[in-house]
Amino acid sequence: MPLNAKTWLKEINSLTLPDKVKIMNVCGGHERSITQAGLRSVLPKSVHLIPGPGCPVCVCPEEDIYEAIQLALKESVTLVAFGDMLRVPVNLPRHEIRSLEQARSASADIRPIASPTEAVLIAKNNKEKPVVFFAAGFETTILPVASMLAEGVPDNLFVLMSGRLTWPAVAMLLESGEPGFDALVAPGHVSTVMGPEEWTFVAEKHHIPTAVAGFSSTSLLAAFYSTLRQLIEKKYFLDNCYPEVVHKGGNPTGKQYLENVLKVVDANWRGVGIIPNSGFALKEKYASHDARVRFPSYADNSRQRIGEMPAGCDCAKVVLGKIYPNECKLFGKTCTPREPIGPCMVSDEGACRIWWANRQRH
Amino acid sequence: MCLGIPMQIKEINGYNARCEAKGVEREVSLFMMQHESLEIGDYVLVHVGYAIQKIMPQDYHSTWELYDEVLEGEKSERV
Ligand code: SF4
Repeated sequence: MPLNAKTWLKEINSLTLPDKVKIMNVCGGHERSITQAGLRSVLPKSVHLIPGPGCPVCVCPEEDIYEAIQLALKESVTLVAFGDMLRVPVNLPRHEIRSLEQARSASADIRPIASPTEAVLIAKNNKEKPVVFFAAGFETTILPVASMLAEGVPDNLFVLMSGRLTWPAVAMLLESGEPGFDALVAPGHVSTVMGPEEWTFVAEKHHIPTAVAGFSSTSLLAAFYSTLRQLIEKKYFLDNCYPEVVHKGGNPTGKQYLENVLKVVDANWRGVGIIPNSGFALKEKYASHDARVRFPSYADNSRQRIGEMPAGCDCAKVVLGKIYPNECKLFGKTCTPREPIGPCMVSDEGACRIWWANRQRH
Repeated sequence: MCLGIPMQIKEINGYNARCEAKGVEREVSLFMMQHESLEIGDYVLVHVGYAIQKIMPQDYHSTWELYDEVLEGEKSERV
């Protein structure tokens, strides 16, 4: 008999659990579903749900946002980006232009988009002006960007690629010797496009219980149950608790385009540092659409705190699951969604913003 | 940013489809769905304007369910 959320919860409660189990999620959507449904308060006290590296906006390199701002201000271009990126501040003194939103107020041509197809349309309708698409995101977002390029785009469209892969961040945590979690809920929509197999290494190599989950309470509770039982029975495998859309191999068409258009490179994560093989870059055959080739680099090495989180902001620790959002001294005090200090309070997928919006206190 | 929305296909036109969710209609690209045969009425998961997977209704949500069912079955066979 397939179980519903209530019965999964009963099943979880019937398990004999260790004193403390930390289950990490690596997806802002998971964190939002968990927090909105209040799952923390219904689970046994020993189960701790930790938000980890699940917010692409939060880890988007500070120097890439700086580059996007400078391109928009100094080159005669239209800059398009997913809406979340516009408010993320870079590390500059207060009187300078610190975000794409401020650059837009200073009359740079910056437009928020919700889909790569909008970027194509804007480029088509303004043939005489270069359009720079600042593309940040995880695999779920980057496959559509690669597909857009593969399908063919106007000559005046250039991509400032800033995409990241999720699993290398988890691998980095596991290899650090202090992962800070006992079980993993693997991301639902990253697994939908890339295939769940990407996550088998967590269970098989590191003996950490792992389950892919969707976004309903039923699927999330099934994943919690699965990982807890794996832990108790010491049988570690990758469970798929989101079989509606997570199929073996993921999306073969999208993965093929990804392979054709992009290469995987070592990449910087804001406040975290370089993680091997964790970023995307355009392949040489797409150089004619690569903003990093077409435009000069505005990197300014004299800037303070390049690549870091803003001063006083603990986002890097939040992103790595080392602390809960409300353990940051600024949470809800000087840092709120209205006046965010760090990216975790800006993005809809940032743990700080999700916790603040839902009044979550651990 | 990684959240997909389930939508129902209403109309297909080459690589483009008109999809609907909760009364709202959107243009959706089917460019990433070339491995799949899609029909009007099918549900797809849509992310940043692209259909990224066909939604298949499934019953089970954890391997443990099947595992326990098999064990149950074996037990009752033995009785
Ligand atoms: S509360 Fe604000 S300052 Fe603190 S970690 Fe979160 S985003 Fe950064």
